[in-house]
Amino acid sequence: MKMMNIKRVISSIERKYIADNLKKEERLDGRGLWDYRKYNINANTIESAEGSADVTLGDTRIITGLKYEVGTPFPDLPDEGVCTVMAELLPLASPLFERGPPNEQSIELARVVDRGIRHADCVQTKKLCIKEKEAVYILFVDMYVINHGGNLIDCGGVSALTTLITSHLPEGKLNDDNNLEWTGKYLNGKDIVNELPFVLTYGKIDDIIFLDPNLSEELVSDGRISISVTEEKITSIQKSGAATFSVDEVKMLANKSMEIGKQLRKDFDLWQYLVEK
Amino acid sequence: MPLVIKDEYPEKLFREDGKRLDGRDKTELRPIKMEVGVINNADGSAYLEWGNNKVFAAVYGPREVHPHHLAKPDRGILRVFYRMTTFSVFERKRPAPGRREKEISMVIGDCLEPVLFLELYPGTSFEVFIEVIDADGGTRCASTTVAALALADAGIPMKSLVTSLAVGKIDGELVIDLSGIEDKAGEADLPCAITWYNDELSLLQFDGDMTLEEMNTSMDSAVEALKEIYEKQLTALKSKYIAIQEETLKQQESKTDGGEE
Repeated sequence: MKMMNIKRVISSIERKYIADNLKKEERLDGRGLWDYRKYNINANTIESAEGSADVTLGDTRIITGLKYEVGTPFPDLPDEGVCTVMAELLPLASPLFERGPPNEQSIELARVVDRGIRHADCVQTKKLCIKEKEAVYILFVDMYVINHGGNLIDCGGVSALTTLITSHLPEGKLNDDNNLEWTGKYLNGKDIVNELPFVLTYGKIDDIIFLDPNLSEELVSDGRISISVTEEKITSIQKSGAATFSVDEVKMLANKSMEIGKQLRKDFDLWQYLVEK
Repeated sequence: MPLVIKDEYPEKLFREDGKRLDGRDKTELRPIKMEVGVINNADGSAYLEWGNNKVFAAVYGPREVHPHHLAKPDRGILRVFYRMTTFSVFERKRPAPGRREKEISMVIGDCLEPVLFLELYPGTSFEVFIEVIDADGGTRCASTTVAALALADAGIPMKSLVTSLAVGKIDGELVIDLSGIEDKAGEADLPCAITWYNDELSLLQFDGDMTLEEMNTSMDSAVEALKEIYEKQLTALKSKYIAIQEETLKQQESKTDGGEE
């Protein structure tokens, strides 16, 4: 019978095996230290959502959808809309995930993806304003993990970004009686998204650092670091787990992230997923 | 919370040419696509597209019961969790499961339990997780159908598969497989499911109004359509193994080819 906790199955022998191979710059799935697993992007797959993406990274699969509401803006930002990110680690996706309200892991996933987007001049919140002080769009980017194969953060980042690019929000205006009306047009990704931030996650075992940990690497690693980058800038960093990183290591990883981020931006060509409506 | 576009129902549910709004005849099913083994981590899984409905189901078990006090010493337990994503419906659903989801989970659980041999698995649980990622009417039927497939994919002994479908009445006419609009604006909705080992109904709900005669006709047309869906379930289950078989044959062929060289 399968036990509840598959962490037990990752033995110290397996940890040593993975670490020893990494020292030789070899990984069990044949990748080099700085290679991603295969990304696969399916855009705009959900009919009921105002934007969506189904993204796989190796075995990891995350489906994200966008919904909106119209609400009043925050008093200190009267002409800006709001974009929130949520993540659900469905118990369907892994025996490691339990039912119930969001736990630390799902909140971290949502927060890291959110911060990568928020600090990158990605979502044009001023374009989400219908009328100053009165009405703005509130966007909900909700990520659902369908299969957990390690490195949810990077997969979630691409999934959330693609979702925003596929967005098609009905354009509203307030009429003379202050009632909401539809203009018949839509706001799409070109209106809402500017910068394309990518988040890159590195695992660390002993003193070996590697990109995109898969599930078994993630379970045996001491910790990880996630770095969000745009074309020109670093926008967010999150170190988690018990590993420590030297200043030189962080500098090296920041540099690597810019480089790999540029390549991803080119390879994915996310603007091809714009939805014209 | 206001939305820019409001959710409105059309006045008529039939077009001028007598077809339904999505172009179907009264006894025509929406397109159905099924696949098993889509979630690697699960013991069994399945994915279903039924019109605009998109549903995943994953099965874990038999495994330890958590919390422990739910375990039964003489038999296993089946627990079903039907959930919808926030973006699967017109107005964003709140992330926490609501009363509707809990009730439907129970109804689906009761529907599936008769086909399992739970008495063979004392002290354990089978958990079926269902996630509706896109909804357009008839999600409980789609979920039941895909959950049965996931159980079969998990290799759990079953008396038979279970197939489910909703029939109903719209604009005074009896139809099968109600879409989202037809479900909301129609007069009657009758979701049902059949366990094929005894050809009996294992899920049955009804809301609306129908005469006795209409009820009889509806039931009969439901059974006809259910048979059609059942065939698709069987094909989906088999196709996984046919794919494996073809793969192995190909490998064997390439091996023998290599040997000759």
